[in-house]
Amino acid sequence: MKAMLQLVHRLSAHPDSRCWYVSWSPTGALLASCGGDRSIRIWGKEGDTWQCKSVLSDGHQRTVRKVSWSPCGNYLASASFDATTCIWKKKDDEFQCLTVLEGHENEVKCVAWAPSGNLLATCSRDKSVWIWEVDEEDEYECVSVVNSHTQDVKHVVWHPAQELLASASYDNKVCIYKEEDDDWECRATLEGHTSTVWSLSFDPEGQRLASCSDDRTVKIWKDCGTGDESVDGSWKCICTLSGFHSRTVYDVAWCRLTGALATACGDDGVRVFKEEAASDPEQPVFYISAHMPKAHSQDVNCVAWNPKEAGLLATCSDNGEIAIWNYHSDA
Amino acid sequence: MAGFSQNVTDDLFDSIIMADDRFHLDGYREGFEEGAQQGLIEGRNHGMLHGARLSAEVSFYHGFALTWKFILQNTEDVKARKRLKAVETLDAMIQKFPYEDPQNEKLQEHMERVRAKFRQVCSLLSVAADFREYMSGSEGMSF
Repeated sequence: MKAMLQLVHRLSAHPDSRCWYVSWSPTGALLASCGGDRSIRIWGKEGDTWQCKSVLSDGHQRTVRKVSWSPCGNYLASASFDATTCIWKKKDDEFQCLTVLEGHENEVKCVAWAPSGNLLATCSRDKSVWIWEVDEEDEYECVSVVNSHTQDVKHVVWHPAQELLASASYDNKVCIYKEEDDDWECRATLEGHTSTVWSLSFDPEGQRLASCSDDRTVKIWKDCGTGDESVDGSWKCICTLSGFHSRTVYDVAWCRLTGALATACGDDGVRVFKEEAASDPEQPVFYISAHMPKAHSQDVNCVAWNPKEAGLLATCSDNGEIAIWNYHSDA
Repeated sequence: MAGFSQNVTDDLFDSIIMADDRFHLDGYREGFEEGAQQGLIEGRNHGMLHGARLSAEVSFYHGFALTWKFILQNTEDVKARKRLKAVETLDAMIQKFPYEDPQNEKLQEHMERVRAKFRQVCSLLSVAADFREYMSGSEGMSF
């Protein structure tokens, strides 16, 4: 059987506005979306359809760019162009704004929770990446501010197991950070993209990092270090997916369950790539497994794999819609 | 003889024909000296201005760090101790700042690190302090 993407559901999530980002809760039961209408919406499956369970509209003054669930699933963090990050606490089915993290000079572009749940990273147009620590009393303190990029920082993502952070920027670079004597430091800079790097995703084991860019390519990077913690990782680009996308690639997501790599593109399409099983791990070959042209009527901003249900993919677009797809693998 | 007169006429015409070239060269030399002099003055002023601005910023952070160190130094509270530690780190970074060496290639990098530390400390202390605002605030005081 040929691999395909089958539409399961299409929702008008943020009408008359852009839907910027979607994020699955750790159990895969809830989907959070955010958009240009300054609101966050929580979606859940009821029977065969997806229903809006809550609307969080009183937290931000401007566009909500990204949302991130804490690993325990009880908190939601939202990054907004109003220069703040809100932390929401889930209580039964309600969400309450617990605290507002201030400090960035302007638009916060992304927020990400570390796998331990004790650290939170934010990045902004002010070129900085902030790392926050959470204590038992739900209090947040900034443990480090890092200025390693020379331009707007678009995305931050944590390693799935280690306390290792990666960031992508308008300066065409990717930075990898580690903690060093109470401070976080940029330990490696990944250069290769010729335009803005929009998003990043680690593979399920955390050995490789995928980056996508305005240069219409996706690059796969591998830590070729010795495994010795004290030595700086040396990340090398081991694969470039070029010629597949006709516009900017806005997002990339590596499925934890199947290893499939999905991309969101400015040509309105959604693509799923798979790795050739027989290819050399040092020089992997990826092939396009499924392609849905015009998945949305406008730019696709985000792709997110459900963490529990293999093949369930959520995407969202500039037209304010969310689409949920089922990816049937050919292998 | 013929050879001699030939030489004289050569030099005679040379001085006329080559005058353009010679004056050009002399002019270039004079202009170069004057330009170098002027450039030196301009460069000096430029350096002074930037050096002063950078020093003012670093000194502002230094004063800020010292004041907060004094305020927090006798505290036993765990949270405040964390803050004190961050303030002390900022102070230590300023102590190591390479003021004496304007050509230090790490100067810019060091400055960025001090600025980043300062922002973290401000966040920890919940004070809104921006050096640029502070500067523009004082500029706004003109009469």
